[in-house]
Amino acid sequence: MTSVWLHRPRLMYLGLFSAAYVLGCGFAQSLAIVPGTGISIWPPAGLFIATLVLASGPSWPWWVGVGCLSELAGNALWFHSPLPAAVLIYAGNALEAMAGAWLVHRFCGRPVRLETLREVLVFVVMGAGAAPVVSATVGSATLAWFGIQSQSFTAAWPLWWIGDATGVLIVAPLALVVFQNWRGAAALSAKRWGEASVLGLIFLGVAALSLSGYLPFAYMIMPPLLWASVRFEFKGAAITLALLALITAVFTISGASQFAGDPESQKEKQVMLHLFLAISAFSALIVAAISRQHQQALVTLRQNVDALRDREWEFSQLVGMVPSHLWRLNPDGEPIFFNRRMVEFLGMDVPDTDKPGMSRLEALSEAVHPEEAEKFRGTLRRSLATGEPFRMRYRLRRFDGAYRWMSSAANPLRDEGQRIVQWYGLCHDIDDQVRAEEALRERERGLQELVDAMPVNILSFSPSGKMTYASKRYLEQVGSPLSHIEDFNALAKDLAHPDDFPTMFERASNGFANGEAFVNRFRRRDKQGVYRWIEARAQPLRDSSGAIVQWYIASIDIEDEVRAQEALRAAHESLARQSQAASLAELSATIAHEVNQPLAAIVANSHACHRWLSADPPNLDRAKITAERIIRDANSAAEVIGRVRALFRHSPQARSPEDVNRLISEVCRLMADEITAKVIRLETNLNPGLPLVALDRVQVQQVMVNLLRNGIEAMDGLLDGVRTLWISSCRDGTDAIRVEVTDSGGGFADAERVFEPFFTTKQQGMGMGLAICRSIVESHGGRLWAVNNDDRGGTVAFTLPLAVTETS
Amino acid sequence: MSEARPVVAIVDDDPRLIESLQDLLESANYVVRGYPSAKSLLDSGLAGVDALITDIGMPGTDGFELRDMVKKVRPELPVFLITGRHEIADRDRAQGISGFFRKPFDARALLAAVGEALRDRKMEGQHD
Repeated sequence: MTSVWLHRPRLMYLGLFSAAYVLGCGFAQSLAIVPGTGISIWPPAGLFIATLVLASGPSWPWWVGVGCLSELAGNALWFHSPLPAAVLIYAGNALEAMAGAWLVHRFCGRPVRLETLREVLVFVVMGAGAAPVVSATVGSATLAWFGIQSQSFTAAWPLWWIGDATGVLIVAPLALVVFQNWRGAAALSAKRWGEASVLGLIFLGVAALSLSGYLPFAYMIMPPLLWASVRFEFKGAAITLALLALITAVFTISGASQFAGDPESQKEKQVMLHLFLAISAFSALIVAAISRQHQQALVTLRQNVDALRDREWEFSQLVGMVPSHLWRLNPDGEPIFFNRRMVEFLGMDVPDTDKPGMSRLEALSEAVHPEEAEKFRGTLRRSLATGEPFRMRYRLRRFDGAYRWMSSAANPLRDEGQRIVQWYGLCHDIDDQVRAEEALRERERGLQELVDAMPVNILSFSPSGKMTYASKRYLEQVGSPLSHIEDFNALAKDLAHPDDFPTMFERASNGFANGEAFVNRFRRRDKQGVYRWIEARAQPLRDSSGAIVQWYIASIDIEDEVRAQEALRAAHESLARQSQAASLAELSATIAHEVNQPLAAIVANSHACHRWLSADPPNLDRAKITAERIIRDANSAAEVIGRVRALFRHSPQARSPEDVNRLISEVCRLMADEITAKVIRLETNLNPGLPLVALDRVQVQQVMVNLLRNGIEAMDGLLDGVRTLWISSCRDGTDAIRVEVTDSGGGFADAERVFEPFFTTKQQGMGMGLAICRSIVESHGGRLWAVNNDDRGGTVAFTLPLAVTETS
Repeated sequence: MSEARPVVAIVDDDPRLIESLQDLLESANYVVRGYPSAKSLLDSGLAGVDALITDIGMPGTDGFELRDMVKKVRPELPVFLITGRHEIADRDRAQGISGFFRKPFDARALLAAVGEALRDRKMEGQHD
């Protein structure tokens, strides 16, 4: 109940509805002119349906209730039917209204405005056709049941149905118009008011003439009725229909109408009247709906046209703003549009290309640089002929005569039949870009020339090792890599000298792996298959994030340098030999002195001996002594010669990797006889893990022999104690090995001077041995020194570096 | 042999040479005094010495220095220089000097030179 109460319509509406309902009842009563029927046009049906169509569903009980009261009031005033019959009749009317409203909503949805043909048709068929069936059936049955006015069901039903249908057709539109425009003021222009007035006059005139029976044909009213429907649509139709119904009713009641007649034909006339009104209403409503639809279509079309115009304006603004040239050509290639930028650039618009004696396209082609003009014409003509898109770069003359590079493209626009309708083109100013490209190319060419001019081969590799660039000089000198060689590893294996490859490859692999620059010196095979020394420097190029994007390898031919170094070394050796020769000269002088001493003694003694023997009498004793001295001195001289020979018995030999321990063992074997003869014990202490050392085997053996002999001789004068000679080998730091010869002799009187030539402390000897030993060791890059032992004896030691440093 | 035999002093660091020269000179009837160094000669004095034969190359005072020192004391004393090193003989100081011998020297020439020098002195002395 509360929900029903909540949906109560405003009291004023209910009141007005009730008043209109009662008035409708009165109107119906006044028209019920057919004797004995009491049935006529029933306006409350239209009012009821229109009300329910617009009212919300929950409020329907209110309207139904008020309608009931109103009809009972009408019954009390005019119809005087028994109350049960009146209630039943009302129930039929209410059902009719609810069924009609429901059906209209069912097929049209909300809100119902009757503005389209479909809505009007639904309204006519459902509201005016179907719904009255309910009312007619219930009402006719009631009349028959109660025997009111002695109506049979079948006789009453058609009259009832058509009366209600006409009521719906006439009143419902009017009611809808009134409800929907309840608040809206009629916004008609003066012109429309004028038209409405003229129409109203004509309508009333025609209606008066035709319905008063003056004119024989009631349907004469149709033209003005349709006029109203066309020009004023639904409202016009509703109002004129209402007026028509009133006028018809008035004339019919007054008996002037052609629908009034004698009682016999009255029923038929009544039906004709209803038909007249129904057909008029039907026609007017349909025409109004069509007119309304037409008007709305016109409005929509106008709106579309306006929207299109707006869009076109926007597009033309956009085209004007595009920083490129836009142009259109007709299918023959005649320019038909340039955008603003193009006009500004060229200094001419499309009409300016109309020049006597040439086509517009020719005139446009004239703006293309002479060098490209021919190609431009040809390319464009070919595109126009074949329909293929046009693409070209050319220089276009600006209004001031300057040419600028353009990148131009044009495409055909085709209709549905694939026929070319027009060409539209886009043209960018790429002059700055082209110039920048040119400058870049020029710079690149300059850099390329620079690279090519440098006496350096340049290669670049991707981080994965793939070769990405080789300088011209490289290709000239080394040649292009074979097709199957793609990366650094394969290239290195192919080109590097097999002896140098392992080292250089290891270094390169480390460099690549660690991202560190590296340098390699190795022999590389050139185009002629000749190996030449090169120095290759690899440097990574990194991006801003530090990732390596490229490796650059610059290699220099150092063959000449290496050869020069070799020549230099040879020169050094030669120089050394010469200086050796020079010192030999000095040496020979010393030797000469050394030999001269005994010689001089021998010569003097020989004379003395001669004299002793020549004396008279010969002094044989003295002669004998002298002769012995001669023998002694001569032996001494021979010994000097032998010693000298022993010292210089070494010849330069190529150095080769040698096991120092093996050399020591050999020397010990060589000296074994001499050692055992002097009753000397030899002890060796050789480190077995020594690496090979590149050395001159003969020279180093000579050094060892000298040192051993030196040690042996140092112990010559030793009478007591054990004569022992130690020889040992060991590592000296990381990069050298050391050999020591220790004796248990008297030690060195002066450990530094022992290396001076001709310094000797020995009874026999020249003092040459250690000096020569030192020079040999030093020529191997080592050192030789002598120290006195703590207990007794001395030690001579020398080192030999593992990495041969060439000192000569 | 009433006449006293002339005395020749020999300075050389090589004992073999002193030995052989002594032998040679004694075979020529000279008295020989051998010294291993200039110092030892100067220490024992020049008295009685009639001629001096000295090596040039010696440790300490060499032959040239010794000759210069002796000439100051005994200008008339004949001094003979001998050397084993030929380059010394080619030096300026040795140029034009009489009584200069290279080892191995010609023993006969040496004896002749010593004899001549002593005979000259004796004749000078007889004239005196």
